[in-house]
Amino acid sequence: MEDGDKVNTKKMLRILCEETGVSGREEEMYDIIKELTEGFSKDIKQLPTGTIVVTAGNKDADRHIMLDAHIDRIGLIVTYIGENGFVNAEPVGGMDLRALPGTVVTIQGKENVTGVIATLPPHLVDKEKGMTRDDIRIDTGLSDSKLRKLVSQGDTAVVKSFFRELLNDKVAVSALDNRAGCAVIIKAAELVSGKLYNVKLSLVFSSQEETNESGASTAAFLLEPDEAIVVDTGFAKQEGVPSGQSGEMGKGPIISIAPVLSRRLTDRLMNTADRLGITYALEVDGGMTGTNADGISVTRGGIPCAVISVPDKNMHTQTETVSIKDIENTARVIAEYIIGGAEK
Amino acid sequence: MTDHKLLKKLCAASGISGDEGEVRELILSEIRDHADKIIVDNPGNIIVFKKGKKRAKTKLMLSAHMDEVGFIVTDILPDGLLKFACVGGINDSAVFAKQVLVGKDKLPGVVCCKPVHMLKADEKGKNPSPDTLTIDIGAESRQEALKYVRPGDSVVFDSIYENKNGRIISKAIDDRFGCLVLIEMIRSQLPYDMTFVFCVQEEVGLRGSAAAAFTAAPDSAIVIEATTAADMPGSENEKKVCCVGKGAVVSFMDRASIYDKEYFRLAMDISKELGIPAQTKTKIAGGNDAGSIHKSRGGVRTIAVSVPCRYLHANAGLISTDDAKAVGDLVRELAKRICEQ
Repeated sequence: MEDGDKVNTKKMLRILCEETGVSGREEEMYDIIKELTEGFSKDIKQLPTGTIVVTAGNKDADRHIMLDAHIDRIGLIVTYIGENGFVNAEPVGGMDLRALPGTVVTIQGKENVTGVIATLPPHLVDKEKGMTRDDIRIDTGLSDSKLRKLVSQGDTAVVKSFFRELLNDKVAVSALDNRAGCAVIIKAAELVSGKLYNVKLSLVFSSQEETNESGASTAAFLLEPDEAIVVDTGFAKQEGVPSGQSGEMGKGPIISIAPVLSRRLTDRLMNTADRLGITYALEVDGGMTGTNADGISVTRGGIPCAVISVPDKNMHTQTETVSIKDIENTARVIAEYIIGGAEK
Repeated sequence: MTDHKLLKKLCAASGISGDEGEVRELILSEIRDHADKIIVDNPGNIIVFKKGKKRAKTKLMLSAHMDEVGFIVTDILPDGLLKFACVGGINDSAVFAKQVLVGKDKLPGVVCCKPVHMLKADEKGKNPSPDTLTIDIGAESRQEALKYVRPGDSVVFDSIYENKNGRIISKAIDDRFGCLVLIEMIRSQLPYDMTFVFCVQEEVGLRGSAAAAFTAAPDSAIVIEATTAADMPGSENEKKVCCVGKGAVVSFMDRASIYDKEYFRLAMDISKELGIPAQTKTKIAGGNDAGSIHKSRGGVRTIAVSVPCRYLHANAGLISTDDAKAVGDLVRELAKRICEQ
């Protein structure tokens, strides 16, 4: 891995993670995706569900591969404008509510509005009782008139977190699920750019995975790919995460094996990684995978799918952590999978 | 007027109780050219004497504390994660999943535990207690972590500072705001001679102020603080204690002190007379350095004036800039009146 590459990957990841784009608001990501992909393709469009598609390679090729990474992030949505600067909000996607008390958020109102998720002082509260989805209040500190001018029901909010570099090329920030996956497919497309003689590549930045997985399967219906590789974040090994469902951070991607996935594609992914000398972990599921592959695989007459993931710690909090090396290596496996397959 | 640029610098400085050095250096650099005498005592308090236009009839000390709540590294686990203890009365529910800065070099870290997806039925719906949490700096072994961190290293919240639309959101408003009020007075022309103390270790038992008050040996004292405002959904009437936006908070009593009755009335009278918004607490809650100052030597007549702050002991407190101004205005006038009595 070149040092310059690492810097670029970090930069790209930072741009992706610092942008908004809560489920249902994926259009906020359009300009960024355009900017990050125009080096290898000018063919970009947005589908009715909000999914963004970038097409590369030979459009008349026999082999059409869809690389899917959901672009939506979990967040909050304003449900009620209260008094004294407080608004009610509910989660969009499976937010870890334990992480919310005292957390700083940004509401995407008429302008960005910073707020704090209210938490009663210790003397007024049962310390153990966690927050429920019904008692999320964002304190904007604004006057009632200013608040009503700037914030409306239906506005989304994202947790504020800094893009921080930890030791060993790890980064911690919110929205790594799944902006890390988005970085992987962009990176993979960069690696195969100019080498796609007999492959049509659809990069699908799918919408609404965190709420109902609706963006990917509808995109697959419209694009009709021959096969799909779904890139998401998986559990990194940490306290409470069983092995067999996780991968050690910094030791390469996690490849999924599950009844709903194509064993042929999965084996090819594993063989490709082996050929490159890139280590990986296996996540074995007994049924569905909890990723976009569950829907894509039964779209139209059925589309063979494989799932490859970037190990992610502290999933669904503002302290999600991934390794830049894992992102690079996941991209390399996918790139080699695409090219290697085309040569055969 | 509130010097917001300086408040931002003060809040951004790291200084948990017992490790106030960075804050102290910043304050010293801001007051050096404006004071007549500056002492840094053994515990690390800054004691400042400044001459005014006239000699004071009552020897007055103004006090604020430099330390903030945070964490201290207690152990490093074999997998490189850091165990920690809370320093000061941290709001337990606001610790998990926060970004932090570790040690002198401010190494970024995150507070973590088991992911939400893996919780067992009896773990759901509960706040993880801080003793079950660890800090991850990305190290992969104890040995690697030890290159960067040692047990005993300080940890602070990695937080924002925003001053917009009439309110400030930041860490450590408690009590860098009080430090700011003192610095601004030191940099101004005073009507009377006054003593100022910037104290250490308030959050772990009102400790630095005990030593500072002994050395300063005042007749009277004003403590400038940030105090808990619980005016938020889920808290009614008197349980709000005090409200953001309703002015400076002057207490008659809290958990650590019964304040001087005449000074309490004087502060309220000044508020009315000059139209400076002020309120009092509606519960006997909280406590501050007044608790140690009022019983220093043979006793010190003490009053506290505070800015109401929501989420006081967490990563991001919220205050009103109008309240901040009211505290500054009220303290300056109160100090003058006490000195001339």
